[in-house]
Amino acid sequence: MSSISSLANVHSSGKYGDYEGKNEKELLKISERKNLLIVQIVQYKNSNILCESIDLDGLKLKNEPSNVIYNDDTRILWNGPKNWFLVSKKKDLIKSILKNFKESDFAITDLSHSRAIIEIEGQNTKEILKKGCPFNFNILKKNQSINSVFNGIAFTIDMFDDNPDKVRLFTLRSFGESLYHSITDASLEFGYISI
Amino acid sequence: MLYINCPHCGMRSQNEFSYGGDASIKRPELNKEISDNEWNDFVYNRKSLRGKHLELWQHISGCRQWIKVERDTATHEIFRTFKADEEVAS
Repeated sequence: MSSISSLANVHSSGKYGDYEGKNEKELLKISERKNLLIVQIVQYKNSNILCESIDLDGLKLKNEPSNVIYNDDTRILWNGPKNWFLVSKKKDLIKSILKNFKESDFAITDLSHSRAIIEIEGQNTKEILKKGCPFNFNILKKNQSINSVFNGIAFTIDMFDDNPDKVRLFTLRSFGESLYHSITDASLEFGYISI
Repeated sequence: MLYINCPHCGMRSQNEFSYGGDASIKRPELNKEISDNEWNDFVYNRKSLRGKHLELWQHISGCRQWIKVERDTATHEIFRTFKADEEVAS
């Protein structure tokens, strides 16, 4: 079965906004990320298992606010106490997750089909986010993540890189088009390339 | 803008939170015989204080945890925040 991406109706490649006369490197790059495995991992309150003892694609869960645990393929975002959000290029990782995390201690939910992912790259990335989100982005560092709201839309930000700034925004699939509209609207001022 | 220091996530805007009412209310013990008036007090009657007030808030757009917030209802100044299961010394 072929899947239709959540932003298929709104995302089309090209240059938009105030891009004329600007170096391409200065422009923001906005793209949609597709075909990623997204899994929510929640440890039950009465579970006594040390989450650090479980190996997941060479990574160990940590209960550290805002920190992203990562390797080349997989990123595990802290979503709340004993609550993580795993994003991976390895689609078959779900098998090992289901095997390694006991049903009696963890709730594992495959959210791959239910999120829209927007990737923004460029030196003005944080300026875009500041327009609609009340978070103090000056304190957000590389490999940190937060949950917040953008123009009233709940979303998760994964700070991928800081030279130049690169973030991945996750929102509910049904909110994807609205968030995309808000983000691209905020980006027009700087000019952006839609990839 | 009002900022609330979530004990889990750190300083965040009030936009991310949802108000949850008085945090000092305790549910009557299970299986204990109580009068209608006591039940009425638990469910409906609130003091509506002017001044320091211990409140429940949920970080609905963040970590989704319930927290306790000590706030001045007149000035909106927030003094302290606690995890939901923390006992608060007055």
